Amino acid sequence: MSAILLMLVDDAIFAGIAAFGFALLFNVPRQALLACVLFAASAHATRTLLLHFNVPIEWASFIAATLLGLATVPWSRKVLIPRPVVTVAAIIPMVPGVYAYNTMTGLMALHHQGYSVALQQQVVENGLLTIFILIGLSFGLAIAPVLVYRNKPIV
Amino acid sequence: MASDSSEQAFNNKIVSVNGVTPEQVVLGPSPIQDKHNISREQQAAITRVIARAGQLLQAYNAESRIIEQTTERLGIAFGLDSVEIALTSKAIILTSRFNDHCVTTTRTMKAHGIDMGIVCEVQRICILAEKQIYGVEQIKLRLDNLAVPKYSATIVAGFVALSCACFSHLFGGDSIVFAATWLTSLVAMLIRQWLTQLHHNLVTVFFITAFVATFIGSFASAFSWGNEPELVMITSVLQLVPGFPLINAVSDMVKGHVTIGMARWMTATLLTLAATLGIVLAVQLAQLGGWL
Repeated sequence: MSAILLMLVDDAIFAGIAAFGFALLFNVPRQALLACVLFAASAHATRTLLLHFNVPIEWASFIAATLLGLATVPWSRKVLIPRPVVTVAAIIPMVPGVYAYNTMTGLMALHHQGYSVALQQQVVENGLLTIFILIGLSFGLAIAPVLVYRNKPIV
Repeated sequence: MASDSSEQAFNNKIVSVNGVTPEQVVLGPSPIQDKHNISREQQAAITRVIARAGQLLQAYNAESRIIEQTTERLGIAFGLDSVEIALTSKAIILTSRFNDHCVTTTRTMKAHGIDMGIVCEVQRICILAEKQIYGVEQIKLRLDNLAVPKYSATIVAGFVALSCACFSHLFGGDSIVFAATWLTSLVAMLIRQWLTQLHHNLVTVFFITAFVATFIGSFASAFSWGNEPELVMITSVLQLVPGFPLINAVSDMVKGHVTIGMARWMTATLLTLAATLGIVLAVQLAQLGGWL
């Protein structure tokens, strides 16, 4: 039990720092930085917890992004900052960069070394994972405005 | 303006974001004393201000829904009947309606990269207009003199590099991999900032940055540093993941702006492709040199 907790804390801290860097890159205003880090850390820890319970990664990403999207609504109304300002930077640690990288290098190897089933498997599996995780993340973020705040501005 | 104290506190909170407070703005005669009587010239002036706000939002990568809602809310706050907006990936076309008069204007978009500070500021200005704290003149003044602080480039480079290093930890790298990733992506990030400063095309910037990051990272594999040396190469290019265009693309498409969403999706694909080409070139050079 404490091993899981330790893993989650480690996960949250590093995801938070990662989101902080990207928040600086996107010039997120100073008063939103802390919120951005906290949202990113809790969303990534949620996803890791779900993965620990053998939830498929695309559904885990979708659930984490949905919770993140819903959690930012009251915050956004309170401080009058539009949601994408924090949600995008907070979601960056969950973007499947490594799967995308493996897809691309797999394609490259397929071209160079000639066709093999193992390489094709690498490309297809990583490519599908990339696409499904991305769709899960972005649809998750869109859940709050689409389902809860239909056609009403949140801020 | 504000009648009770809580409203006053609210107003103070949103007014004092950057240096300009409403008292410091020269209070000219508000052009709309009577909301039911807007002349043609006044309507054109209001439309120009709204178009400027929309243009800013689009140039700094706000979601289409935010552009649509903000321009419409500004128009209604200034007493117009409605504001209709057509968005394309390179321009905004905006028509304001008052009684039976229409004013239409087009603004081309000059992409400025991502700056959430400006998006926040424009949103706040819109709220100030809605609360009737600012008139058209003050809004125009404030939009023309946007003073959004930027973080210093060195700090940004250091922390983005730290982000990449954190990714390497999340994927199971040890402390040597962490340090190597930080250094590699710091160099790549500094080059990226330098190229952006020279106003290079984003595709070029992504290509060169990915090349540099992968090329330097390949030496970690050559000397087999840490437990998983190839992680240095993989995670130091993760700073190039086009997260904003991707997320904006899907949320635009979900909310009905399909064409803009497709344009953003293509932008993200193009950037990823450029980065991939950089990676491929670096890997092949390293293989040619025989250290990978």
